[in-house]
Amino acid sequence: MNPTPDIDRDDDWLERLLVDDAHESRAAHVDDAGFTARVMGALPAPLALAFPRWRKPLEWALWGIAGTAIAASLPTMATDVAREMFRLIAAQPISPAHVLAVLAAMGAATFGGAAFVLRRD
Amino acid sequence: MTDAELIARAVVGDDRHAFAELVRRHQSAVRACLRRLTAGNHALADDLAQETFVQAWRGLKSFRQEARFSTWLYRIATNCWLADARKRKETLLGDSDDAIADEDGDEGAPASAGGGDHARGAVLRIDMERALGVLSEAERAAIVQCYHNDLSHEEAAFVLGCPVGTVKTHVHRAKQKLKVALASWAPER
Repeated sequence: MNPTPDIDRDDDWLERLLVDDAHESRAAHVDDAGFTARVMGALPAPLALAFPRWRKPLEWALWGIAGTAIAASLPTMATDVAREMFRLIAAQPISPAHVLAVLAAMGAATFGGAAFVLRRD
Repeated sequence: MTDAELIARAVVGDDRHAFAELVRRHQSAVRACLRRLTAGNHALADDLAQETFVQAWRGLKSFRQEARFSTWLYRIATNCWLADARKRKETLLGDSDDAIADEDGDEGAPASAGGGDHARGAVLRIDMERALGVLSEAERAAIVQCYHNDLSHEEAAFVLGCPVGTVKTHVHRAKQKLKVALASWAPER
């Protein structure tokens, strides 16, 4: 027959039990087993350098101001340049090969410019 | 390198290698603490430990060194466990029993089985995990912090976010319940 435990007589046995169990648990090291890698994989992605929201509108505004200032200060230059370019082009003999070369150059410039802008953003 | 130096590197330089070293140093203690809080459910404990470290990474800038880093981690871990326990309140005890049974398979073994210290320790661990299951969440957390994590009442109060007197009350009530649940370990008359 099992003797009846005297659970009210003394609390020391429970204290010893808790301390023993705690010692036992602390002594058992939990092996990493890939846990650190799992945690690092779950961390949020690093934030890219964030530019302020007002940067782009400010850039456009500055370009607009600069363009307007140039056009206002040199009113005849644009028309003079365009007229001279037209005169030079008109003086040249134009062949289909020339047209294709110009189109190819413009296409290359457009593609290059687009690639550069996309790379930066 | 100390924990404080690693924390500084992680915060100032966004140094993930430094944080990985912190995880490596403290993962065992945090996972063991959560295993005890979840009454031996290792899978759940590891999920909560992962959430603990992710939250620690997010909140590392707010760590003011007012407590040890490990104590701060215990606080996050306990909050993670409490939040999860509230979500799955109805199924928590069932899961814990399953986990204990799956892991050890000899849950019904008497305390004297095997005879040696190792066997006694193993049986005690099983009985303790089951006994902790009868405690309320607050009582279990208080016992785990004060005994398993070996924290003072003041440190446990920081971890649990409550006054020291409340911690003492939880520990006292927990012991009353544990005396009944672990009655087979009481000295014989």
